[in-house]
Amino acid sequence: MGVRGTPPDAEVVALVLAGDTEAFGVVIRRYEAGLLRFATRMLGSRDAAADAVAESFVRAYRHLASCREPARLRTWLYRIVTNRCKSHLVRRSVAEVPLDDAPPLADSADTEAALERADQLQLVERALADLSPDKREAFVLKHVEGLSYEEMAAVTGERIPTLKMRVHRAREALLKALEDHA
Amino acid sequence: MSTIDPRIHQVLDGELAADAVPSELRRAVVQLAAAAGLLAAPPASPAASLESRVMAEIRRPVPSRAHRLMRWLVTPRAIILRVRPAWSVAFAVVVAALTLFTADDGGPELAEHEGIAQFVGQFPEAQSVHVVGTFNDWRPGSIALEDHDHDGVWRATVVLPAGTYEYMFVVDGERWVPDHLAERLVADNFGRENSVVIVRPVRR
Repeated sequence: MGVRGTPPDAEVVALVLAGDTEAFGVVIRRYEAGLLRFATRMLGSRDAAADAVAESFVRAYRHLASCREPARLRTWLYRIVTNRCKSHLVRRSVAEVPLDDAPPLADSADTEAALERADQLQLVERALADLSPDKREAFVLKHVEGLSYEEMAAVTGERIPTLKMRVHRAREALLKALEDHA
Repeated sequence: MSTIDPRIHQVLDGELAADAVPSELRRAVVQLAAAAGLLAAPPASPAASLESRVMAEIRRPVPSRAHRLMRWLVTPRAIILRVRPAWSVAFAVVVAALTLFTADDGGPELAEHEGIAQFVGQFPEAQSVHVVGTFNDWRPGSIALEDHDHDGVWRATVVLPAGTYEYMFVVDGERWVPDHLAERLVADNFGRENSVVIVRPVRR
């Protein structure tokens, strides 16, 4: 997939595999924001997310030749980051997710609207953290990262009906948390 | 068993138009979409160093197993046994490489929060040696060591803000080696070791 006139992923992958190490910077710049956001929502910590994403990019570079469909590099990268996040979560119970470390809003100006938005975000983050990792992963991939169920299946290795069920359960839990707070 | 109306899921999954459901259901759809929108907000500031951190790591050649074994066998002896008396002084400097000089020693004028680190390494065959680390985002080429007398001992003196930094030497632009005489070595996140320098402020 090309983004804003930049070379498509398959072309960048071919360059890197041909020995142009610096071309991998294009991959990082193209996907780091989304991967960082996803990992942050999964781990609840921006530092842990940055570690997971950095490790994932290094792993992706070293195993780039095994990316069988370079045109679907995005999905492949999400799969690697997903696995890294799972590894992090295995070492740490969900209860320990440091919500306070989650990123504040980009526009957190000291205005009433911004503060209200920050409260809402905190509420949603807590509800998200209360979900099991597989439901959290499904919800974030679907609604935050905007992946289709087919892409989610490629990322997680799960069947589409299973993913749909997880997304549905996550929506229900989030909606309940929002309504309880209202 | 779903606890909310299945039509809400259908709308959110794009299987049903939002205006095809009653307004009380649309409210739930809007609430969930808004929640997702909040979560999709970008971090307050991007992880600026992530790209340089990753690029620094992938520029480092991965040593083969045989090379790692050879390095493990050779490294301590190379330092301890091959040092000639004249170089002992140089290595004493290495041990002190990460120490600080006070302004009274005639060093450069420093701010209160700054200190001086001296990097010294022995690379007799090298054409160039640089030091990279967390103080320069692991960018090769920005801090060069010099070997004016061509004795194979390369040096650089650097003013840095006080703090703890990880670093490595880059020899001839491609060989990344830790400074085994550093105050300590730490494992990085990629299964290898970085050297550590602690820079203390000159003025307390």
